[in-house]
Amino acid sequence: MISQFFILSPRGDVIIRRDFLGNVPKTSPEIFFRNCKFWSDDEEQQHDEAPPVFSVDGVTYLHTKEGGLQLVATTRDNVSPSFVLEFLRRMCIIIKDYCGLLTEDAVRKNFPLIYELLDEVMDYGVPQSTNTEALKTFVLNEPVVVAPSSSNPRSILSFNKGPTGVFKSVLDTSRTDSKRRDEIFVDVVERVTCTFNSSGYIVSSQVDGAVQIKSYLAGNPPLKIKLNDDLVIGKRDNPYGGRQADAGHSVFLDDCNFHECANLESFDVDRSITLVPPDGEFALINYRTTHGFKPPFRLQTTVEADPMTDSKAVLTLRLWCEVPADRGASGLEVEVPTPRYVQRAHCDLDPKATPGTQSWDYSEKTHLLKWKFKKCQGGQEFMLRCKLTLEKPYGPSLRMEVGPVNLKFTIPMYSASRITLKYLQILKRDKSYNPFRWVRYVTTSSSYTFRT
Amino acid sequence: MSDGKYFSTTKKGEIHEFKEELRSLEKSKKKDGVKKVIAAMTVGKDVAMLFPDMMNCMQTEDLELKKLVYLYCQNYAKTQPDLAIMAVNTFVKDSQDPNPLIRALAVRTMGCIRVDKITEYLCDPLQRCLKDDDPYVRKTAAICVAKLFDINPELVDDRGFLDQLRDLLSDANPMVVANALAALQEIQEISGKDMLQLSQNTLMKLLTALNDCTEWGQVFILDALAGFETRDPRDAEKIAERVLPRMQHVNSAVVLSAIKVILRMMDICQSADLVAAWSKKMAPPLVTLLGAEPEVQYVALRNINLVVQKRPSILANEVKVFFCKYNDPIYVKMEKLEIMIKLASDKNIDQVLLEFKEYAQEVDVDFVRKAVRAIGRCAVSIERAAEKCINVLLELIKAKVNYVVQEGVIVIKDIFRRYPNRYENIIATLCENLDSLDEPEAKASMVWIIGEYAERIDNADELLETFLDTFPEENSMVQLQLLTSTVKLFLKKPTESAQKMISLVLSCATNETDNPDLRDRAFIYWRLLSTDPEAAKDVVLAQKPVITDDVGNLDQGLLDQLLRQVATLSSVYHKPPEMFVSRQRLAVQKADELQDHQFEEEEVPGAASTSTAAVAAAATSAAPQVDLLNLDSGGPEAAAAPPRAVGGIDDLLGGLDISSTSSSTPAPQLPVLLSDPSKGLVIQGKILRQGGTVTYALVIINSSASPLDGLMLQTNRSTFGLGPVNVVLQVPSIAPSSTATALVPMLYDSTKILPGAASSKLEVAMKTNQAGVLYFADAVPLASLLEESGGIEGQAFLNAWKTLPPETPQRLQLTVFNIESAKQRLQAANLFVLAHRPVPGTSQEALYLTGKVGGINVQVLVEVRLTVGVPGMDVSFKSERTDLATMTFEAVAQILA
Repeated sequence: MISQFFILSPRGDVIIRRDFLGNVPKTSPEIFFRNCKFWSDDEEQQHDEAPPVFSVDGVTYLHTKEGGLQLVATTRDNVSPSFVLEFLRRMCIIIKDYCGLLTEDAVRKNFPLIYELLDEVMDYGVPQSTNTEALKTFVLNEPVVVAPSSSNPRSILSFNKGPTGVFKSVLDTSRTDSKRRDEIFVDVVERVTCTFNSSGYIVSSQVDGAVQIKSYLAGNPPLKIKLNDDLVIGKRDNPYGGRQADAGHSVFLDDCNFHECANLESFDVDRSITLVPPDGEFALINYRTTHGFKPPFRLQTTVEADPMTDSKAVLTLRLWCEVPADRGASGLEVEVPTPRYVQRAHCDLDPKATPGTQSWDYSEKTHLLKWKFKKCQGGQEFMLRCKLTLEKPYGPSLRMEVGPVNLKFTIPMYSASRITLKYLQILKRDKSYNPFRWVRYVTTSSSYTFRT
Repeated sequence: MSDGKYFSTTKKGEIHEFKEELRSLEKSKKKDGVKKVIAAMTVGKDVAMLFPDMMNCMQTEDLELKKLVYLYCQNYAKTQPDLAIMAVNTFVKDSQDPNPLIRALAVRTMGCIRVDKITEYLCDPLQRCLKDDDPYVRKTAAICVAKLFDINPELVDDRGFLDQLRDLLSDANPMVVANALAALQEIQEISGKDMLQLSQNTLMKLLTALNDCTEWGQVFILDALAGFETRDPRDAEKIAERVLPRMQHVNSAVVLSAIKVILRMMDICQSADLVAAWSKKMAPPLVTLLGAEPEVQYVALRNINLVVQKRPSILANEVKVFFCKYNDPIYVKMEKLEIMIKLASDKNIDQVLLEFKEYAQEVDVDFVRKAVRAIGRCAVSIERAAEKCINVLLELIKAKVNYVVQEGVIVIKDIFRRYPNRYENIIATLCENLDSLDEPEAKASMVWIIGEYAERIDNADELLETFLDTFPEENSMVQLQLLTSTVKLFLKKPTESAQKMISLVLSCATNETDNPDLRDRAFIYWRLLSTDPEAAKDVVLAQKPVITDDVGNLDQGLLDQLLRQVATLSSVYHKPPEMFVSRQRLAVQKADELQDHQFEEEEVPGAASTSTAAVAAAATSAAPQVDLLNLDSGGPEAAAAPPRAVGGIDDLLGGLDISSTSSSTPAPQLPVLLSDPSKGLVIQGKILRQGGTVTYALVIINSSASPLDGLMLQTNRSTFGLGPVNVVLQVPSIAPSSTATALVPMLYDSTKILPGAASSKLEVAMKTNQAGVLYFADAVPLASLLEESGGIEGQAFLNAWKTLPPETPQRLQLTVFNIESAKQRLQAANLFVLAHRPVPGTSQEALYLTGKVGGINVQVLVEVRLTVGVPGMDVSFKSERTDLATMTFEAVAQILA
């Protein structure tokens, strides 16, 4: 079982430490930190990340990173690694649910609360109840909710799975004072993975999505959620590789799983789900689709010789944003790796573009060209012309060596799979009860690559 | 006010301040004090001396405060066993509290205190709590049985707790069932006996509980099911039917454990249809795991690697999901690549090759190399794809990226070996890139190609000649290959220049080298050529066996063993559990009492390092090494597939074996400091005192294929400024598979003293001509630093004892049976006994010891109080360097152990 659990700050300081079995030396956090930091034994390539499971002197270290912190478990037994890693992820969620967010500051300020939680969540290295809701009974400490530091605003591009912008402890719902605010967040979060070949055709594409719920409703009233009528779930509704995938407009999911609180009685009738939402953040549905997916961006890259001189080349990027015109990406970055013999680059932004919305940047050290957008409206076309100064005369192989081009983006109020929430009902008889309901959509890039 | 402030104070009188606050009558101030103590404990400060004050806070109605004190209690009870007894009354009282939370808290905490004396008091409350009305108390008590077993197994047996635990498997509450099961599994692990004793009856109960359990409980149940020994296919069907839906779970641990159960049941089930149906259901959940966080993906991929080897059909159509994403971490990419190679088939090879080609143009060098090798491996294993693979490789080589070219040459050599006389038309392209080859393996591969196809390459002699210029400086791998290829060239095209070259090489290899392998091989060729050139042709130019791609494929027996370990660490390391789990659990001892080298001694030698390397080793393909070893010999002995080609030649020559170092000498048992399988080097060693000087005893094991020489040793700055007297080690060249020992005298170098808190850590660098510089860390035992002249006068001792800063106490778990021999041992270790007297009013005896630590020239004073024949001794330490306390305690423990 798990011998120790500890949380390390980005500098390697121990901020939470709990020893369950007492069979791993106390110095394990230092041993872990050293090994993790200098994983690669090759001096030139220290970029290698340590794998999430590794062993030093008979002790296995399992770790995950969140909010700059490292959550680590050690063991001497032949445990199930996914069991331990899932537990660490769950610890992240619990801390976030109770402290509002998971940062060094939040953990330091709430350490008695976290120890209290740990006491309930794990006994002798065996996970106990890890349900945010159930834990409430046992917790006595008041959370200190820390707002994220304003000097380091969360970049919109780092938007990952969960709903952001809510930094609130689940314990707030049991408050009786005026500070309490009943609200519920339902977020459809999708991550797009897409690879295009050099002619612009999709080689592979996938959307990993989740309907994330974060509930702060006192008394946990039941909810009813309805999804699109034309939703088809591949392995559930018809045999593998069935025909319906092509049947026009339906939203087709390859595979999905539901949270245990979901009641699916009427799901097959009208695609509605009833549930009693537990406190804290959870994923009601996780799904995956490779069908009927319209890529939000297309890109064309051309590389030509400069007619004036053979020590220069012209790189042209044409980008089409293919989401509806009333939507758009809030933050887009196009990354173009160039070969080592490119000395400098100079770009001309499209003179027609609104000034200040686009920028570019070339790093002579990493040879990476970045084209950045603050905002990128749907239905538009953009262009960037870039002059590359080469160390050696231009050759046609340059075309092969530029790229692959990678896009990073976040598109609010847009779901790539076209899954939609038709309604969100709070089933409580009291007519005066009208808490805030937030339904949001967001699509981000996981890996969005154009090969050249 | 927030709790963060508790971390901030580092003032001197801290402990005193804590005490004040803990004794405060004000409740909030008291709680504040307790929180500060817990914060200090978290950052690793020693707050054990506050034990009595903390105990006084325990009797309180305030549950929050009580929890914090209990937390402290778990941490320090071991160091203060006498005081811990004081807490027992509160525990026993709390275990009967009307509030179930407090009952459970008491039982939980009591079990965490590993003090023998307490366990007796634990039994009755535990007995009660196992039958408590509240499931929360019962589930806590179930785990407590496992805790008790760890401290005192006999007691658990005597009181019948095991049977009670088995009864709990049929409890109405699924949480209790899960914990009882977890406790039994843990006890089984510690004792090595079958504690579960699963019957048909309990099996059914577990299957029923499976649906209602928490996700963690489900994993325990699934693991128990996987271990259920049955031969009955009906059982297998029953289990599989219940377990199959678990593969849809959100928690990847549940999914993988369910897959393990199904894989087990497939072995037992006799219906091929059912097995096929189950396989079909297994694919989607496996694919879904790849959408999870990278950590979970990594574990899943390592497991999939095993599943695919056993049942390739499951994922045969899913190769696409293993395509690497741009932003995958490198450890995920490497694993995906490995699985892509395994899934590559006639049907999907075009797609797969296209991917590999893309990867071969990425930025990360290791990944690129692996991608190039992947292309080569596909060519070797899929005959129809060979030509396509070659074309892709040629395209890549034409881009002239240095490391791609080198890697490309290596894999093309493998392809030539697999399909002789088919693709030789590409040799010309390869020859264009001769200049860019600078890595030994690539060079050796190219030289092999030139030698093997000398008759088809017009200027083979010129090409080889360019390599010969640097013959003496080459790596031994290249030298051996040059030798063989020159002979091949001579036999195929006995021109004048070939003649000249052969005599040059043979004389170089026999006269100017100290590598016995090279010399031996040269002598063989020499004799062969001079006695019977035709026989030489038969030997050197004989038909070679065709190779296959078996890199990364595990041996069938090991694979079956590992498949039973799916969803465990074993399946990630690809090693059976015995290799990295030490059978002997060290649980009873508190961790901080353990010394690093104790660990190493308890393990199978090398096990620790191999498991560390497992992950790394899996990433680097070992294929070409094996191939090269075979083709090295270039003679018929390869057909017999000797484990080591060189060995084969030795046999052939009989008397000519000049290598003097004996192979496979059993190495003395020193702690392993470094083991680097990729460089074929293991270093064992320990710092000890010999004849009044500090000496580094080292054992260097060379398991690589070439001799090691030019050994040098250097140390980093450390607390005591230790460094070798002579940087160059007086060790002759170490032949392959042999061992050298060295006793390196050390000295103190004041410029190498690292200021700051004393630490036993010593960072060492070892350089060899072949393996380059290797780093490792060792611990300097204080016992090796105590000087022979360290004794002082009794009066001086007394004065020092009075003037020095307050002592550091520590309790050591040691038993002394003969005080005179203990004194002799201390004296022999340069800890001088100044006085020995009984402690008035007790049965204890006190020893006063002193010693001088070299390098920093500090006198340490130690008082030991012990009772002969009774476990445990109290040691107090005084010195101007209080930070030497821990090391001194370790030294005393080591000397008296």
